[in-house]
Amino acid sequence: MKKVLWSAVMAVALVAPALAHHSPAAFDRTKKVTLVGTVKEFRWQNPHTWIEVEVPDEKDKSKQVVWGVELTSPTYLIRAGWKSNIIKPGDKVTVVVNPVRSGEPSGIFVSMTLADGRELFERPARLGTPESK
Amino acid sequence: MTSSKTIRAAAVAAALSLAAAGCTTAPSQPAPPAPSQAEADAIAAGTLSALAPANLNKARPAPPFDLTSNWFIDVSQDPKAWHFYLPPLPKLTAAAQKEYDTSMKYDAEGKVYKDDIGQCWPAGMPLIMTRYWPMAMIQKPTAIYMISGFMNSVRIVYLDGRKHTDLDVIVRTYNGESIGEWQGNELVVDTIGFRGDHHWMDQDGPAIPAGEKLHIVERFRMVNDGKQLEIEFTMTDPDHWEGEWKSTKRFNRVVDVDIQEVSCLPDLNAHIKSTTSKTQVFQ
Repeated sequence: MKKVLWSAVMAVALVAPALAHHSPAAFDRTKKVTLVGTVKEFRWQNPHTWIEVEVPDEKDKSKQVVWGVELTSPTYLIRAGWKSNIIKPGDKVTVVVNPVRSGEPSGIFVSMTLADGRELFERPARLGTPESK
Repeated sequence: MTSSKTIRAAAVAAALSLAAAGCTTAPSQPAPPAPSQAEADAIAAGTLSALAPANLNKARPAPPFDLTSNWFIDVSQDPKAWHFYLPPLPKLTAAAQKEYDTSMKYDAEGKVYKDDIGQCWPAGMPLIMTRYWPMAMIQKPTAIYMISGFMNSVRIVYLDGRKHTDLDVIVRTYNGESIGEWQGNELVVDTIGFRGDHHWMDQDGPAIPAGEKLHIVERFRMVNDGKQLEIEFTMTDPDHWEGEWKSTKRFNRVVDVDIQEVSCLPDLNAHIKSTTSKTQVFQ
Protein backbone atom coordinates (compact mmCIF):
# COMPACT_ATOMS: atom_id res chain seq x y z
CA MET A 1 0.00 0.00 0.00
CA LYS A 2 1.33 3.31 -1.01
CA LYS A 3 2.35 5.47 1.86
CA VAL A 4 1.70 9.11 1.36
CA LEU A 5 3.94 11.59 3.07
CA TRP A 6 3.84 15.30 2.47
CA SER A 7 5.88 17.19 4.95
CA ALA A 8 7.01 20.76 4.95
CA VAL A 9 10.08 21.38 7.03
CA MET A 10 12.24 24.40 7.51
CA ALA A 11 15.69 24.05 6.06
CA VAL A 12 18.51 26.53 6.47
CA ALA A 13 21.14 25.98 3.86
CA LEU A 14 23.29 28.00 1.56
CA VAL A 15 22.08 26.97 -1.85
CA ALA A 16 24.52 27.34 -4.69
CA PRO A 17 22.92 28.38 -7.97
CA ALA A 18 22.20 25.47 -10.25
CA LEU A 19 22.59 25.40 -13.98
CA ALA A 20 19.17 26.74 -14.87
CA HIS A 21 17.53 28.65 -17.69
CA HIS A 22 15.15 30.60 -15.51
CA SER A 23 14.97 32.52 -12.27
CA PRO A 24 14.96 30.30 -9.17
CA ALA A 25 13.11 32.98 -7.22
CA ALA A 26 9.84 31.10 -7.72
CA PHE A 27 11.00 28.38 -5.34
CA ASP A 28 10.81 28.57 -1.58
CA ARG A 29 14.24 27.34 -0.56
CA THR A 30 13.23 27.30 3.10
CA LYS A 31 10.66 24.57 2.58
CA LYS A 32 10.90 20.96 1.57
CA VAL A 33 8.08 18.76 0.33
CA THR A 34 8.49 14.98 0.22
CA LEU A 35 6.62 13.30 -2.61
CA VAL A 36 5.99 9.57 -2.40
CA GLY A 37 4.59 8.47 -5.71
CA THR A 38 5.04 6.98 -9.14
CA VAL A 39 7.13 8.26 -12.04
CA LYS A 40 4.84 9.44 -14.84
CA GLU A 41 7.60 10.69 -17.14
CA PHE A 42 11.34 11.30 -16.96
CA ARG A 43 13.06 13.50 -19.52
CA TRP A 44 16.86 13.44 -19.71
CA GLN A 45 17.70 16.66 -21.55
CA ASN A 46 19.28 20.10 -21.54
CA PRO A 47 18.98 22.68 -20.13
CA HIS A 48 17.01 20.79 -17.47
CA THR A 49 16.22 17.22 -16.73
CA TRP A 50 12.71 16.91 -15.35
CA ILE A 51 10.54 14.30 -13.68
CA GLU A 52 6.77 14.16 -13.45
CA VAL A 53 5.65 12.28 -10.35
CA GLU A 54 2.08 11.21 -9.68
CA VAL A 55 1.14 11.38 -6.02
CA PRO A 56 -2.26 10.92 -4.38
CA ASP A 57 -4.14 14.16 -3.85
CA GLU A 58 -3.87 15.17 -0.20
CA LYS A 59 -7.58 16.10 -0.09
CA ASP A 60 -8.99 13.29 -2.21
CA LYS A 61 -6.72 10.27 -2.23
CA SER A 62 -8.69 8.65 -5.03
CA LYS A 63 -7.22 11.30 -7.33
CA GLN A 64 -3.66 11.77 -8.50
CA VAL A 65 -1.73 15.03 -8.65
CA VAL A 66 1.13 15.35 -11.12
CA TRP A 67 4.11 17.19 -9.65
CA GLY A 68 6.69 18.71 -11.96
CA VAL A 69 10.22 18.34 -10.59
CA GLU A 70 13.03 20.38 -12.15
CA LEU A 71 16.64 19.24 -12.08
CA THR A 72 19.94 20.51 -13.39
CA SER A 73 21.67 19.50 -16.62
CA PRO A 74 22.54 15.83 -17.26
CA THR A 75 26.20 16.93 -17.39
CA TYR A 76 26.18 17.21 -13.62
CA LEU A 77 23.70 14.46 -12.87
CA ILE A 78 26.02 11.95 -14.57
CA ARG A 79 28.74 12.91 -12.12
CA ALA A 80 26.36 12.18 -9.27
CA GLY A 81 25.66 8.66 -10.55
CA TRP A 82 22.58 9.30 -12.66
CA LYS A 83 21.82 7.57 -15.96
CA SER A 84 19.14 8.22 -18.52
CA ASN A 85 17.40 4.97 -17.58
CA ILE A 86 17.78 5.20 -13.83
CA ILE A 87 14.03 5.64 -13.51
CA LYS A 88 11.17 4.93 -15.88
CA PRO A 89 7.40 5.45 -15.88
CA GLY A 90 5.77 3.30 -13.25
CA ASP A 91 8.72 3.27 -10.85
CA LYS A 92 8.00 4.01 -7.20
CA VAL A 93 10.10 6.92 -5.94
CA THR A 94 10.36 9.32 -3.04
CA VAL A 95 11.38 12.78 -4.20
CA VAL A 96 12.19 15.78 -2.01
CA VAL A 97 11.72 19.22 -3.59
CA ASN A 98 11.74 22.90 -2.71
CA PRO A 99 8.22 23.88 -3.85
CA VAL A 100 7.13 26.94 -5.81
CA ARG A 101 5.77 29.66 -3.59
CA SER A 102 2.37 29.71 -5.32
CA GLY A 103 1.34 26.33 -3.92
CA GLU A 104 1.14 24.73 -7.35
CA PRO A 105 2.47 21.15 -7.71
CA SER A 106 5.93 22.14 -8.87
CA GLY A 107 9.33 22.17 -7.26
CA ILE A 108 13.05 22.11 -7.73
CA PHE A 109 14.86 18.87 -6.97
CA VAL A 110 16.62 18.20 -3.69
CA SER A 111 16.98 14.41 -3.54
CA MET A 112 15.34 11.16 -4.64
CA THR A 113 15.17 7.69 -3.10
CA LEU A 114 14.59 4.75 -5.41
CA ALA A 115 12.59 1.64 -4.57
CA ASP A 116 15.83 -0.27 -3.90
CA GLY A 117 16.89 2.30 -1.32
CA ARG A 118 19.49 4.15 -3.38
CA GLU A 119 19.50 7.87 -2.70
CA LEU A 120 20.36 10.31 -5.47
CA PHE A 121 21.39 13.94 -5.37
CA GLU A 122 22.46 16.53 -7.90
CA ARG A 123 26.19 17.01 -8.16
CA PRO A 124 27.23 19.86 -5.87
CA ALA A 125 28.19 22.88 -7.95
CA ARG A 126 31.97 22.60 -8.14
CA LEU A 127 32.12 24.80 -11.20
CA GLY A 128 32.63 28.39 -10.32
CA THR A 129 35.34 27.72 -7.79
CA PRO A 130 39.07 28.07 -8.42
CA GLU A 131 39.71 24.35 -7.87
CA SER A 132 37.69 23.67 -11.00
CA LYS A 133 40.57 23.70 -13.44
CA MET B 1 47.76 3.26 -12.03
CA THR B 2 44.33 3.75 -13.53
CA SER B 3 43.72 3.26 -17.24
CA SER B 4 43.28 7.01 -17.78
CA LYS B 5 46.61 7.68 -16.08
CA THR B 6 48.20 4.96 -18.20
CA ILE B 7 46.89 6.57 -21.37
CA ARG B 8 48.06 10.00 -20.22
CA ALA B 9 51.51 8.68 -19.37
CA ALA B 10 51.74 6.99 -22.77
CA ALA B 11 50.77 10.23 -24.50
CA VAL B 12 53.39 12.18 -22.57
CA ALA B 13 56.02 9.55 -23.41
CA ALA B 14 55.08 9.68 -27.09
CA ALA B 15 55.32 13.47 -27.09
CA LEU B 16 58.73 13.37 -25.42
CA SER B 17 59.88 10.81 -27.97
CA LEU B 18 58.75 13.03 -30.83
CA ALA B 19 60.47 16.02 -29.25
CA ALA B 20 63.69 14.04 -28.84
CA ALA B 21 63.50 13.15 -32.52
CA GLY B 22 63.32 16.82 -33.42
CA CYS B 23 59.60 16.81 -34.14
CA THR B 24 57.11 19.21 -32.57
CA THR B 25 53.35 19.18 -32.44
CA ALA B 26 53.30 22.50 -34.33
CA PRO B 27 55.36 22.02 -37.47
CA SER B 28 56.44 25.16 -39.28
CA GLN B 29 53.76 26.42 -41.65
CA PRO B 30 54.35 26.64 -45.38
CA ALA B 31 54.21 30.07 -46.93
CA PRO B 32 50.58 31.18 -47.18
CA PRO B 33 49.07 30.79 -50.62
CA ALA B 34 48.19 33.84 -52.65
CA PRO B 35 44.60 34.99 -52.17
CA SER B 36 42.13 33.28 -54.45
CA GLN B 37 40.14 35.38 -56.91
CA ALA B 38 37.14 35.17 -54.60
CA GLU B 39 39.29 36.37 -51.69
CA ALA B 40 40.75 39.17 -53.82
CA ASP B 41 37.21 40.25 -54.70
CA ALA B 42 36.21 40.12 -51.01
CA ILE B 43 39.29 42.14 -50.01
CA ALA B 44 38.41 44.78 -52.65
CA ALA B 45 34.82 44.88 -51.38
CA GLY B 46 35.87 44.96 -47.73
CA THR B 47 33.93 41.78 -46.99
CA LEU B 48 36.71 39.28 -46.37
CA SER B 49 35.50 36.72 -43.85
CA ALA B 50 37.28 36.27 -40.55
CA LEU B 51 37.86 32.63 -41.45
CA ALA B 52 39.06 33.19 -45.02
CA PRO B 53 42.60 31.76 -45.40
CA ALA B 54 43.84 35.10 -46.74
CA ASN B 55 42.66 36.76 -43.54
CA LEU B 56 43.87 34.06 -41.17
CA ASN B 57 47.29 33.95 -42.83
CA LYS B 58 47.88 37.69 -42.76
CA ALA B 59 51.01 38.65 -40.79
CA ARG B 60 50.08 39.99 -37.34
CA PRO B 61 51.91 40.49 -34.04
CA ALA B 62 51.57 37.51 -31.73
CA PRO B 63 48.77 38.09 -29.21
CA PRO B 64 49.80 38.27 -25.53
CA PHE B 65 47.51 35.36 -24.58
CA ASP B 66 45.17 32.78 -26.01
CA LEU B 67 41.65 32.64 -24.61
CA THR B 68 40.96 29.22 -26.09
CA SER B 69 39.48 27.25 -23.20
CA ASN B 70 36.30 26.59 -21.32
CA TRP B 71 35.62 29.28 -18.71
CA PHE B 72 33.22 29.55 -15.80
CA ILE B 73 32.38 32.53 -13.63
CA ASP B 74 34.28 32.48 -10.31
CA VAL B 75 31.85 32.50 -7.40
CA SER B 76 34.36 31.39 -4.76
CA GLN B 77 34.42 34.79 -3.09
CA ASP B 78 30.74 35.59 -3.51
CA PRO B 79 27.96 33.16 -4.54
CA LYS B 80 26.27 36.09 -6.26
CA ALA B 81 29.33 37.10 -8.27
CA TRP B 82 27.56 36.00 -11.47
CA HIS B 83 25.13 38.91 -11.04
CA PHE B 84 25.70 42.41 -12.35
CA TYR B 85 23.25 44.07 -9.97
CA LEU B 86 25.77 44.02 -7.13
CA PRO B 87 26.78 47.42 -5.71
CA PRO B 88 28.03 49.91 -6.54
CA LEU B 89 25.30 50.58 -9.06
CA PRO B 90 25.08 53.78 -11.09
CA LYS B 91 22.19 56.18 -10.63
CA LEU B 92 19.34 54.77 -12.68
CA THR B 93 17.10 56.86 -14.88
CA ALA B 94 13.45 57.19 -13.91
CA ALA B 95 12.43 54.51 -16.41
CA ALA B 96 14.99 52.01 -15.18
CA GLN B 97 14.33 52.84 -11.54
CA LYS B 98 10.66 52.08 -12.08
CA GLU B 99 11.53 48.60 -13.36
CA TYR B 100 14.00 48.11 -10.51
CA ASP B 101 11.45 49.09 -7.87
CA THR B 102 8.69 47.01 -9.42
CA SER B 103 10.90 43.94 -9.61
CA MET B 104 11.93 44.34 -5.97
CA LYS B 105 8.31 44.72 -4.90
CA TYR B 106 7.39 41.44 -6.57
CA ASP B 107 10.58 39.79 -5.31
CA ALA B 108 9.54 40.63 -1.75
CA GLU B 109 6.23 38.91 -2.48
CA GLY B 110 8.03 35.80 -3.70
CA LYS B 111 7.14 36.46 -7.32
CA VAL B 112 9.30 36.59 -10.43
CA TYR B 113 9.10 39.80 -12.48
CA LYS B 114 9.52 39.62 -16.26
CA ASP B 115 11.76 36.56 -16.30
CA ASP B 116 12.29 36.86 -20.05
CA ILE B 117 15.28 34.53 -20.02
CA GLY B 118 13.14 31.86 -18.43
CA GLN B 119 10.70 32.37 -21.32
CA CYS B 120 13.52 31.59 -23.78
CA TRP B 121 14.54 35.13 -24.68
CA PRO B 122 18.35 35.34 -25.00
CA ALA B 123 20.33 36.37 -21.94
CA GLY B 124 22.34 38.83 -24.08
CA MET B 125 25.32 40.91 -23.07
CA PRO B 126 26.60 41.29 -20.46
CA LEU B 127 24.63 38.53 -18.71
CA ILE B 128 25.63 35.81 -21.16
CA MET B 129 29.23 36.12 -19.98
CA THR B 130 28.39 35.29 -16.38
CA ARG B 131 25.44 32.97 -16.85
CA TYR B 132 25.91 30.02 -14.53
CA TRP B 133 27.03 27.79 -17.39
CA PRO B 134 30.49 27.12 -18.87
CA MET B 135 31.53 29.13 -21.92
CA ALA B 136 33.84 27.82 -24.63
CA MET B 137 36.15 30.37 -26.24
CA ILE B 138 38.06 29.58 -29.41
CA GLN B 139 40.66 32.12 -30.43
CA LYS B 140 41.81 32.51 -34.02
CA PRO B 141 44.08 35.30 -35.28
CA THR B 142 41.09 37.14 -36.74
CA ALA B 143 38.32 36.50 -34.23
CA ILE B 144 37.39 34.89 -30.95
CA TYR B 145 34.35 32.64 -31.06
CA MET B 146 32.53 32.39 -27.76
CA ILE B 147 29.85 29.74 -27.33
CA SER B 148 27.97 29.73 -24.08
CA GLY B 149 26.80 26.46 -22.62
CA PHE B 150 23.62 28.44 -21.99
CA MET B 151 21.45 27.95 -25.08
CA ASN B 152 24.63 27.77 -27.16
CA SER B 153 24.47 31.55 -27.49
CA VAL B 154 27.22 32.67 -29.86
CA ARG B 155 29.29 35.79 -29.51
CA ILE B 156 32.04 36.72 -31.98
CA VAL B 157 34.77 39.24 -31.22
CA TYR B 158 36.45 40.33 -34.46
CA LEU B 159 40.18 41.00 -34.28
CA ASP B 160 40.92 41.56 -37.96
CA GLY B 161 40.85 45.34 -37.90
CA ARG B 162 37.34 45.83 -39.17
CA LYS B 163 35.23 48.75 -37.94
CA HIS B 164 31.76 48.63 -36.43
CA THR B 165 28.91 48.25 -38.91
CA ASP B 166 27.01 51.48 -39.53
CA LEU B 167 24.10 51.69 -37.13
CA ASP B 168 21.66 52.26 -40.00
CA VAL B 169 22.36 48.82 -41.41
CA ILE B 170 23.47 46.84 -38.38
CA VAL B 171 21.29 43.90 -37.43
CA ARG B 172 20.69 44.46 -33.75
CA THR B 173 21.22 41.46 -31.50
CA TYR B 174 21.28 40.60 -27.81
CA ASN B 175 25.03 39.96 -27.77
CA GLY B 176 25.75 42.96 -30.00
CA GLU B 177 28.63 43.48 -32.42
CA SER B 178 32.07 43.15 -30.83
CA ILE B 179 35.34 44.50 -32.18
CA GLY B 180 38.52 43.64 -30.31
CA GLU B 181 42.00 45.12 -30.26
CA TRP B 182 45.12 43.99 -28.43
CA GLN B 183 46.52 46.77 -26.23
CA GLY B 184 49.67 45.75 -24.37
CA ASN B 185 48.82 42.72 -22.27
CA GLU B 186 45.08 43.27 -22.57
CA LEU B 187 42.37 42.62 -25.09
CA VAL B 188 39.99 45.58 -25.34
CA VAL B 189 36.58 44.76 -26.80
CA ASP B 190 34.04 47.36 -27.88
CA THR B 191 30.44 46.19 -28.28
CA ILE B 192 27.40 48.03 -29.66
CA GLY B 193 24.35 47.22 -31.79
CA PHE B 194 22.09 45.78 -29.13
CA ARG B 195 18.41 45.01 -29.17
CA GLY B 196 16.52 46.93 -26.54
CA ASP B 197 13.48 44.72 -26.03
CA HIS B 198 13.42 41.84 -23.54
CA HIS B 199 17.06 42.70 -22.79
CA TRP B 200 18.20 43.01 -19.19
CA MET B 201 21.40 43.97 -17.44
CA ASP B 202 20.25 41.59 -14.75
CA GLN B 203 17.22 39.76 -13.46
CA ASP B 204 16.41 37.31 -10.67
CA GLY B 205 16.12 40.01 -8.03
CA PRO B 206 16.49 43.59 -9.22
CA ALA B 207 15.55 43.89 -12.88
CA ILE B 208 17.53 46.55 -14.72
CA PRO B 209 16.75 47.00 -18.41
CA ALA B 210 19.29 47.32 -21.23
CA GLY B 211 18.53 49.35 -24.34
CA GLU B 212 19.67 50.00 -27.88
CA LYS B 213 22.13 52.65 -26.66
CA LEU B 214 23.99 50.14 -24.50
CA HIS B 215 27.72 50.36 -25.12
CA ILE B 216 30.11 47.94 -23.44
CA VAL B 217 33.89 48.15 -23.31
CA GLU B 218 35.61 45.09 -21.84
CA ARG B 219 39.24 44.74 -20.88
CA PHE B 220 40.29 41.08 -20.87
CA ARG B 221 43.41 40.10 -18.95
CA MET B 222 44.91 36.83 -17.72
CA VAL B 223 45.57 36.51 -13.98
CA ASN B 224 46.88 33.81 -11.64
CA ASP B 225 49.28 32.40 -14.21
CA GLY B 226 46.51 31.94 -16.73
CA LYS B 227 44.28 29.96 -14.38
CA GLN B 228 41.84 32.83 -14.32
CA LEU B 229 40.51 35.34 -16.80
CA GLU B 230 39.53 38.79 -15.58
CA ILE B 231 37.16 41.02 -17.49
CA GLU B 232 36.62 44.63 -16.51
CA PHE B 233 33.30 45.86 -17.90
CA THR B 234 32.60 49.54 -18.47
CA MET B 235 29.01 50.02 -19.59
CA THR B 236 26.96 53.04 -20.59
CA ASP B 237 23.32 53.35 -21.55
CA PRO B 238 21.99 56.90 -21.11
CA ASP B 239 18.40 55.70 -21.37
CA HIS B 240 18.82 53.58 -18.24
CA TRP B 241 21.62 54.97 -16.04
CA GLU B 242 23.89 57.94 -15.66
CA GLY B 243 27.58 57.78 -16.53
CA GLU B 244 29.64 54.60 -16.48
CA TRP B 245 28.63 51.36 -14.80
CA LYS B 246 31.77 49.42 -13.95
CA SER B 247 31.99 45.79 -12.93
CA THR B 248 34.91 43.35 -12.82
CA LYS B 249 34.38 39.60 -13.04
CA ARG B 250 36.76 36.68 -12.82
CA PHE B 251 36.42 33.38 -14.61
CA ASN B 252 38.08 30.04 -13.86
CA ARG B 253 39.66 27.91 -16.54
CA VAL B 254 37.69 24.66 -16.64
CA VAL B 255 39.21 21.51 -18.10
CA ASP B 256 36.80 18.80 -16.98
CA VAL B 257 33.57 19.99 -18.58
CA ASP B 258 32.61 20.64 -22.19
CA ILE B 259 29.61 22.58 -23.37
CA GLN B 260 26.74 20.62 -24.87
CA GLU B 261 23.83 21.28 -27.21
CA VAL B 262 21.30 23.25 -25.16
CA SER B 263 18.10 24.61 -26.66
CA CYS B 264 14.99 26.24 -25.30
CA LEU B 265 12.67 23.81 -27.05
CA PRO B 266 8.99 24.64 -27.52
CA ASP B 267 7.89 22.03 -24.99
CA LEU B 268 10.48 22.84 -22.35
CA ASN B 269 8.47 25.21 -20.22
CA ALA B 270 5.39 23.02 -20.45
CA HIS B 271 7.28 20.70 -18.12
CA ILE B 272 9.37 23.26 -16.25
CA LYS B 273 6.26 24.34 -14.45
CA SER B 274 7.80 27.10 -12.36
CA THR B 275 8.18 29.15 -15.54
CA THR B 276 4.42 29.14 -16.09
CA SER B 277 3.32 29.19 -12.45
CA LYS B 278 1.36 31.91 -10.71
CA THR B 279 4.66 33.23 -9.34
CA GLN B 280 5.41 34.77 -12.74
CA VAL B 281 4.54 38.43 -13.40
CA PHE B 282 4.88 39.84 -16.90
CA GLN B 283 2.85 43.07 -17.04
